[in-house]
Amino acid sequence: MQNRFRFHSFRHFSRKMRHRLAMLFTLLLILFCTLIVRIVKINANNGDAYKRQVLLQQAYDSQPIPFKRGTITDTKGTVLATSTLVYNVVVDSKEILSDDKYLEPTLNAISQVFGTDISTLRTYIQDHPTSRYYVIDKKVDPSLKTKFDALVADQGKDSSGRQNDNIQGVWFEEAYIRSYPNDSLASNVIGFTGSDNTGTYGLEQYYNDTLNGTPGRSYGYIGDNSDIEKTTIPATDGDSLVLTLDSNVQSIVEKYLQKYNDEYKDQVRDGNGARNIGCIIMDCKTGGILAMADYPSYNLNDPYNTDPLVGMTKLDFTNNDSPMTDAYLTQEDVDALTDEEKGKYLNALWKNFCISDFYEPGSVIKPFTVAAGLESGSFSPTSTYVCTGSYTVDGQTIKCHNTFGDGTLTVSEAIERSCNVSLMQMALQEGVQVFSKFQNVFNFGLKTNIDLANEARTDSMIYKAGDMKAVDLATNSFGQNFDVTMIQVAAGFCSLVNGGNYYQPHVVSRITGPSGATVQNIDPEVIKKTVSPDTSAWIRSFCEQVVEGEHGTGRTARPAGYRIGGKTGTAETLPRRNGQYVVSFLGFAPADDPQIVCYVVVDRPNTSPQDNAKLATVVFRNILTEVLPYLGIPMTESLSDEEKQELQQLQDSGTIALGADAIAKMDEASSDGSSAGTSSGTGGSSAAGESSAAGESSADGGSSAAGESAAAGDSSADGGSGTGTGDSAAAADEAWKSFPVDPSTGYLIDPATNLYVDPDTGHEYDVGPATALTPAAGDGTVQDGGDGTPAAVPGTDTGTAEGAGTGTGTDTGTDTGTGTAGTGTGDGTAAAQ
Amino acid sequence: MAVQKPYVDWSLIIIIIYLLAFGLIILYSASYYEASMSKDDQAFYLKKQLMWDAIGVACMVGVSFFPYRFFKKTALPLFLISLAMIPLCMAFPATNGAHRWIYIGNYQVQPAEIVKITTILLMASMICRIGTAVNDRKIALKVLALPFIASVMLYTITNNLSSAIIVFLIAVGMFFVARPDYWRFILLAVLLLVLIAAGVWLIMNNTSIHDKLSFRADRITTWLNPEKSSSSSGFQTLQALYAIGSGGWFGKGLGKSMQKLGYIPEVQNDMIFSIVCEELGICGAIAIILMFILLCWRLMYIADNAQDAFGSFIVTGVFCHISIQVVLNIAVVTNTIPNTGVTLPFISYGGSSVIFTLAEIGIALNVARRIIRTDRMQRR
Repeated sequence: MQNRFRFHSFRHFSRKMRHRLAMLFTLLLILFCTLIVRIVKINANNGDAYKRQVLLQQAYDSQPIPFKRGTITDTKGTVLATSTLVYNVVVDSKEILSDDKYLEPTLNAISQVFGTDISTLRTYIQDHPTSRYYVIDKKVDPSLKTKFDALVADQGKDSSGRQNDNIQGVWFEEAYIRSYPNDSLASNVIGFTGSDNTGTYGLEQYYNDTLNGTPGRSYGYIGDNSDIEKTTIPATDGDSLVLTLDSNVQSIVEKYLQKYNDEYKDQVRDGNGARNIGCIIMDCKTGGILAMADYPSYNLNDPYNTDPLVGMTKLDFTNNDSPMTDAYLTQEDVDALTDEEKGKYLNALWKNFCISDFYEPGSVIKPFTVAAGLESGSFSPTSTYVCTGSYTVDGQTIKCHNTFGDGTLTVSEAIERSCNVSLMQMALQEGVQVFSKFQNVFNFGLKTNIDLANEARTDSMIYKAGDMKAVDLATNSFGQNFDVTMIQVAAGFCSLVNGGNYYQPHVVSRITGPSGATVQNIDPEVIKKTVSPDTSAWIRSFCEQVVEGEHGTGRTARPAGYRIGGKTGTAETLPRRNGQYVVSFLGFAPADDPQIVCYVVVDRPNTSPQDNAKLATVVFRNILTEVLPYLGIPMTESLSDEEKQELQQLQDSGTIALGADAIAKMDEASSDGSSAGTSSGTGGSSAAGESSAAGESSADGGSSAAGESAAAGDSSADGGSGTGTGDSAAAADEAWKSFPVDPSTGYLIDPATNLYVDPDTGHEYDVGPATALTPAAGDGTVQDGGDGTPAAVPGTDTGTAEGAGTGTGTDTGTDTGTGTAGTGTGDGTAAAQ
Repeated sequence: MAVQKPYVDWSLIIIIIYLLAFGLIILYSASYYEASMSKDDQAFYLKKQLMWDAIGVACMVGVSFFPYRFFKKTALPLFLISLAMIPLCMAFPATNGAHRWIYIGNYQVQPAEIVKITTILLMASMICRIGTAVNDRKIALKVLALPFIASVMLYTITNNLSSAIIVFLIAVGMFFVARPDYWRFILLAVLLLVLIAAGVWLIMNNTSIHDKLSFRADRITTWLNPEKSSSSSGFQTLQALYAIGSGGWFGKGLGKSMQKLGYIPEVQNDMIFSIVCEELGICGAIAIILMFILLCWRLMYIADNAQDAFGSFIVTGVFCHISIQVVLNIAVVTNTIPNTGVTLPFISYGGSSVIFTLAEIGIALNVARRIIRTDRMQRR
């Protein structure tokens, strides 16, 4: 390059240039100072926030480790609820796409093990190349994880034996799922838990915190060498519950509730056999719940399934979602439900009728009224009362269930016949103060604090002493005009029959830790003394007469081989005279030394007429027939042929509670009976492989099980007619006995009112032949006084023996179904003696 | 002068050694996590940088013995050759969507780095040659035309805005020293700043312009509000700010950065200064900046005392190059200016950058060798 410029070139770095360079240097210093100020300002203004942010980002590595929720087992160790380990399969697209050779082998492995659609997954991964967390399969069994791990290990060795880890970017996340091995068993007691570990209803809700553990966490932190160190804080598993509940007893109860429903469903309306059916069995010496069930139950593993809703009582959404009378859901209705409505129905399904619903109990309260009177000294056990069919209190006439009048009755007879008039007189003798004090003593109106979620409050459902008028006292005496829950009645009755000890009702007997060690024992706890042992003994004897007595309203409740006591209840619901009743039976067994209390409630049965306590006593009898032998309570009464046959059938049917052990005990009891001198020592007719003693008695009985059916039928017929005639003779003054019999139903018909009359008790129903199947029309018929007080009445006793399937002996014949042989057999035995 | 014992600027050499050593330490600290994750060797970056540093130092020493006057004649051809390398990048595969590299066997070279050094040589050569003619506007513009072409090529062909700016600013800086009317430059700079501010305001407040300039405009949006785009374009910037802000006065201690654990992308490259701030705090950052100030001061000294104007202007160019690059890098890391890829000389990971920067220092050392000892020097 030649010098073509006219100006002289620079030879030296001039002074001015140095100055300008120094200016540049100064500018540089200024810029650096600015930058340093900027760095200081970042620290000063945002330092704390940025420090937090840095630490927060580190938490990215942190992962929760789920805990295992505690199990629920029954008293025998049967698992009712448990949590099992499963895995969520997570795919890391970024990892899979980090090398071309990973994609296909990984996809193949995933589809091979988990059956995932390859093309869908490939599309997802390619569309979301930076996704690091995509759950492709939830809640997979651990065996699938094992299979996948094996596949990963296998593919490590290709044909050349070289390690080749081409399955990448798949990992497993631990989770637990709640499962209920017995599906619907004890569903209303247990409740259910979703994936969020929050219990809904029942024990799962009440003991939610106990059952839940503490989640663990695995996280990386920066160690001293700036390494990421992985640390794991293991999860603490939840505590487990051991129940007083016995799943065998529970399943017997549920079986007979189901059986009741099968029999009565779709009778008057298409729908369930009743609005609600509930049963509680309690150990009356500890307060432990042995069984608690209502119908319908639901599958705990699938609680949102709407199938059980079909047949349930409709709710009136315009009126606080209260149940509607005689309206049941059909499949079409269920299909048409909105989500909100479905939620309301599901809540109605999930709730536990035995603790969450309240109702007017009816005559089952009578033993409580009498106990209050005896305890307070208002009257003596030998007092007598006259029933003329009705009683006038404060100018209001309240009728007895037997409007024809029961005549002069002792206290015992008043309970036996469930005479409203006598009870009203007793309550008036007690007075408002005593009666309401004992309401409180028996815990009516108070929560029992049973360890289940959603127990109802009923404090506003009973009268306070200050508000109670004579009429209220009169109606309360036979269990109307105040509301209770089933658990209140059952727990109170336990104390009434066990000598006066009110035990805290409870379902859980023990809480155990994750290792199985006991964390807490829940011992039986006497909360208070309700009545004296003497009063308790009187009540037992009165209640025994209800079942054993000639005029007892609960004769059909007696299970084969046992002496029990109890009380029927038939309560009229609001509005009065709508034909809608709550029928119930509250009993204890055995009669001399009560071990259990059983309470069966049928709320608004789907039949007509409804006010027939037999609807409940039959269920009660069926349940106790199996439960008592199962619990190992020895039989004390001799068995009639029909009863033996019934028990044999139960055994043959493979019923859970009647193992060979139980049958042997029954035979033993029967043999005892025969050696004591009763003529019906035919106990040996049961099993083929019996002892020689059984062989002898078999010879006595003279027939095999198969050949006996005809004989049984005969004897049943004899017994039945014996009862009937006996009754007629003894009570010649019972005016209703002369009424004509309605051939289709077996009820008598009162010519004056054209209404059904119970042949045994003289109770006049509020329906007649013309209206029997349309209860709503029954409103027009008048039975009670205008004040709307009820004619609550227990059911009937017919001498029918249909149980052995012979169809004979229908002298007073009525109801359908099984197990009505109780009365007939009882009398048959007596006749033989 | 020939018999004089050559002057060796040990201060400069010590500063360079210090910066290189410090650079290796901080590079290892910043990169070992990333290296152990993706390279299975936590010293991966350290080893490579060590190798390049060695090559660079060899270059520096070699060049320091190479008479710089040789460049007076060859500056233009060298510049044209380096310019010709820019289009060659198109022949090689793109990295991160830009063609910036030429591959020679296993090695890759960034022509932009070569262009920077040849620009310095060319400007020094031309300024000395035209001498006082730099005051002539037409000639001056012609002189500036060549580096401007280089800038335009770097920007259009390799899409490398930062290198384009640096090349042009080096030229302007050297020109500034050569021309007596520096107040014009100050006026121009102020005017430029006003224009940039107006442009930014316009882009931010006019969506249609914003949309047209999508990529560049996004950078500006991110610059003003890094939090708003924290998951996308602002991620790197914001994470670097987290690192700087969490350091405090004295930092978390060497090696204890948390942000290097996968949070700051390419942490060992352009963003390494944020790790200096996080681990060594504001004090550490000031120390590094002081080292660069010392380096520039030594360069200024060599320029002031060089035997001839050519040497002075070469060193002035090196001074401009290094100071511009350091300022831009720290400004980017602290989000003082929009994000653009500038390496921190001697410290950031990268072969081309360190080798050619050290070569420049070698030339400066060669210029220093020729310094005529004055009285002041003899006192040493």
